[in-house]
Amino acid sequence: MIRRLFATPEGIAGTAILVLLAITALSAPLLFPRDPLSIAGPALLRPFQDPAHLLGTDRLGRDVLAGLVHGARMSLAVGFAAAAAALFVGAVVGTIAGFAGGLVDEALMRVAEAFQIVPGFLLALAFVSIAGPSLAVVVAAIALGAWTGPARVARAEVLSIRERDYVAANRVVGMHPLEIALREVLPNALPPVMALSSVIVAGAVLTEAALSFLGLGDPNRVTWGAMIAEGRAVLRSAPYLSIIPGFALVVAVVGVYLFGEGLVEASTSRRRYL
Amino acid sequence: MNRALPLLRRRLLSSLPVLLIVVVGSFLLLEAAPGDAVDAYLVSIGGDAGLAEQLRRDWGLDQSAWGRFAAYATALAHGDLGWSVAFSRPIREVILERLPNTLLLMGAATALSFGLGSLLGIVAGARPGSARDRALSVASLALYAVPGFWLGLVLIVVFAVELRWLPLGGVETIASAKTGIDRALDIARHLVLPVAALGMIYLALYLRVMRAGMAEVWRMDFVLALRARGLSRRRIVLAHVARNALLPLVTMLGLQSASMLGGSVVIESVFAVPGIGRLAHEAVSARDVPLLLGIILSSAVLVVVVNLLVDIAYAALDPRVGASEEQA
Amino acid sequence: MNILNMSRRGLLQGAAAIGALAALPFPVLAQEAKKGGRLTVAADSEPRNLNPAIVASNGVFFVSSKIVEPLAEASFDGLDGRLATAWEGSDDGLSVTFTLREGVTWHDGKPFTSSDVAFSALEVWRKLQNLGRVVFKDLEAVDTPDARTAVFRFARPTPFQLIRNALPALTAVLPRHLYEGTDIAANPANTAPVGTGPFRFAEHKAGEYYRLVRNDTYWGEGLPHLDEIVYRVLPDRAAAAGAIEADEVQLAAFSAVPLADLDRISKVPGVEVVTAGYEALTYQLVVEINHRRKELADVKVRQAIAHAIDKDFVVKTIFLGYAAAATGPVPKNDPQFYTADVPQYAFDVAKANALLDEAGYVRGGDGKRFALKLLPAPYFNETRQFGDYLRQALAEIGIDATIVNNDAAAHQKAVYTDHDFDIAVAPPVFRGDPAISTTILVQSGIPDGVPFSNQGGYANAEVDALIAKAAGTLDENARVGLYHDFQKLVAADLPLINVAEWGFTTVKRSSVKNVSNNPRWAVSNWADVWLDA
Repeated sequence: MIRRLFATPEGIAGTAILVLLAITALSAPLLFPRDPLSIAGPALLRPFQDPAHLLGTDRLGRDVLAGLVHGARMSLAVGFAAAAAALFVGAVVGTIAGFAGGLVDEALMRVAEAFQIVPGFLLALAFVSIAGPSLAVVVAAIALGAWTGPARVARAEVLSIRERDYVAANRVVGMHPLEIALREVLPNALPPVMALSSVIVAGAVLTEAALSFLGLGDPNRVTWGAMIAEGRAVLRSAPYLSIIPGFALVVAVVGVYLFGEGLVEASTSRRRYL
Repeated sequence: MNRALPLLRRRLLSSLPVLLIVVVGSFLLLEAAPGDAVDAYLVSIGGDAGLAEQLRRDWGLDQSAWGRFAAYATALAHGDLGWSVAFSRPIREVILERLPNTLLLMGAATALSFGLGSLLGIVAGARPGSARDRALSVASLALYAVPGFWLGLVLIVVFAVELRWLPLGGVETIASAKTGIDRALDIARHLVLPVAALGMIYLALYLRVMRAGMAEVWRMDFVLALRARGLSRRRIVLAHVARNALLPLVTMLGLQSASMLGGSVVIESVFAVPGIGRLAHEAVSARDVPLLLGIILSSAVLVVVVNLLVDIAYAALDPRVGASEEQA
Repeated sequence: MNILNMSRRGLLQGAAAIGALAALPFPVLAQEAKKGGRLTVAADSEPRNLNPAIVASNGVFFVSSKIVEPLAEASFDGLDGRLATAWEGSDDGLSVTFTLREGVTWHDGKPFTSSDVAFSALEVWRKLQNLGRVVFKDLEAVDTPDARTAVFRFARPTPFQLIRNALPALTAVLPRHLYEGTDIAANPANTAPVGTGPFRFAEHKAGEYYRLVRNDTYWGEGLPHLDEIVYRVLPDRAAAAGAIEADEVQLAAFSAVPLADLDRISKVPGVEVVTAGYEALTYQLVVEINHRRKELADVKVRQAIAHAIDKDFVVKTIFLGYAAAATGPVPKNDPQFYTADVPQYAFDVAKANALLDEAGYVRGGDGKRFALKLLPAPYFNETRQFGDYLRQALAEIGIDATIVNNDAAAHQKAVYTDHDFDIAVAPPVFRGDPAISTTILVQSGIPDGVPFSNQGGYANAEVDALIAKAAGTLDENARVGLYHDFQKLVAADLPLINVAEWGFTTVKRSSVKNVSNNPRWAVSNWADVWLDA
């Protein structure tokens, strides 16, 4: 699988980008041990003017490079946490619905449908305005709009798996249905659900940025979205303040997306075109 | 087409339980909000506890949550969306005034992204692996990763401020007294930038899906058979490969309508378009619960209707249904 | 000196000088005013209630001041008559007599008389208006011996100085014939106001614009010059600058163009930045303190926080020089009440740390003394940015502050009703007299839920006594003296910390003339504004 991942150009590029971002994110506290929100120098210093602030400083004199590096940590954490939450909730709900069937299935799928027809961003917006912007709330808000896809896929998978022999065997042995669902069926239904993850992570990073843009990010943490929002007021006079984090955002989303595509291509055996 | 109406009604009826879940869910969410409509109002006017109490009485906010929900649900059952305290007007009026702007924006963005997206998808997918394909792939990926609001800000600076080719916001020239074709052109000019900002990410998405779908179809046996029969490549691409690859795209159109409605919140505020996305943001800020419920309900209905239209389109495109047409 | 063509350096000096004195009246421009044209103005908020007699706030005034007029308007050397031409207070402080303007008609054609003033004062300002309920609380009756005279009668001596200072902001006159016998708070004229001003209300398209048109029967001879004023709603804070550059909007007031963008935009041909015209609209940047927290109830801790704030940094970096450092609860640019003779808190981190140690809050193993919840008001970029800065400044002295960002409704509820904060950042407006806008910030006994008031649980009998005494002192020098004592006391005890005070900036196309010619210009009637098209 991994070897096949590296056989695709998408896989190589995506993995390279993600590894680079991960290293950056993990080394943030070592590279910039100070709070990235602390005021480090004169305000609005342009990039490449002062070696102490390689990428310049923002409106309050906070170091852009420190923000960028710490922002990688936060933006990726938000993206992956939201995707993990959405996948987990989706997989569990889908498994239960698919396995239980009947009224439970009907009810759960109606709820999923309700979440699907409400614009996800609208929901996130309302949720964050109400619960107050903190990292956990932002993650939850993004997950709220993203769990229905995994739930549907998981349910479909479970429906096809539940009649298979090993599940029937467990039933005969007298295992509790829920136990069968979560211990036997779910793990087998998981791979197709995971295939959705790259799109969800990319979407989560972008949603976090849009929420920050509307002033609904966590003010005690630095994310790329918050940096873009901060730089927007000076878009014309200091464009680097929004271009630098914006570029990082694009690279990260592309990386995640490419990685996901490489993964999908690697998992399907026929990948040559004509 | 005469079959569509009963179908629409049936579909809406079967969506009722879902819509009910939406209403109850949104109501509970706003119930948990710190601060109510009176708090939001007092920010702008100042005033003391006495005034707050009186306003809460006047606006019916002193009743219990269940009392208010029961009143709301009863009115709703009679087709009454209620009264907006933030606008001092009936909610129906407020929403109907803004809805056309959002429909126009979304409709144009969908047309642009679907039309151009599928077209470029065909160009890319016609020769998978070619330089053209690679270039379009990379470009669409980059486009997909650019946040819409950021694109919007840049478009404004370039085309409205620097070049002054297009207006920088709004839906039409204010109080211009334009009518007929002049007015339509005026509105179209105002919509170019927001439509581009909103539609670009979907254009990229449709391009990629179309291209991937075509790559899939190329591998199918019937295409190989067609090639063996010596049909021209162009003919195969257009009549067979593209047509089959279009189907998943049409399905996506329905799925993306809710997401595009969400995206329009940000675009509408960047471009000062008075649509329902921005209205939703305003309703949350003003803690106007019935208004937000009305917006969520109408967008949910909108999504249901779009999905229905997509189903009809799908049926028309499905080769199993359309085979006879092809002969003609 | 032509203020409209001031250089960047001149602007900064001008801003620094807002503390020192009221700006000089402009030399009258030799150019003759041209008639007609539409002025399009950027608006970032959209008040639904446009009744300035009920809602005395700058957001409402910005639109409604062109339609509904007060008895008098502020000018650079006192007051200019609007609906009143003269005013005189009695020696016992129990009555004020207004002589009203002749030949004024309402927009619907009915004549304006003293009974409109009596009705507005008794039924609206005294009962419903956010500020009037304090200033006019002792107003008992308004006699109208004839159509041109209104005599205000007070139950208790009320300083004439206070009434004069209240005229521009608190005395918008409503048409009695449209309001009497109705539910005033729900009257349709609140959203489509009818007044006597130079412009009539034409329409409001929610989310798009307000449109005002010329009042052809305005009492001011030859006025107004403009045919139309359109307020274009631009919800995105970065939009106003582009709109001005593209000439889609000719004027953006109240710093709608971000301060950081002013330097660039002032160099765009045809665009000018004006800092004058806000001298009587001073906003104060204040740290509100919840005295229910035991650490913050200790004056040493409050002093330590005051020493930890670098006001110079706040003025230079957050306000880019378009502000002045504050010394106490009355802004420096107030010509009547300000005194510099109050305790000062220089930026001194070592002293702040020492004060905290002294107070018994020593640093723990992680270098932190205690944690606080910090709520910056969401209304301005600058209040939020100051919140970011304050968190860092507090970290330097071992106080671990967590910022809680709320939207306006949640902030209102958290700070002013639930008191769920430790420190907050607020931008109260100074309205020309401490009794109108300032004493409420520190006075005790204010009911919960009153926005922009003392909700920090601060109670100081000495402060309360001073406030009560000043409210009934008729002699103007004595009254000013009492407010000097008040400033000293507040600066010493620090119920709240005044950090900076700022006026706003206006960005306009050069074609807009007669801008910023009074100290409340953005919220005055713009009758003499004209377009050199």
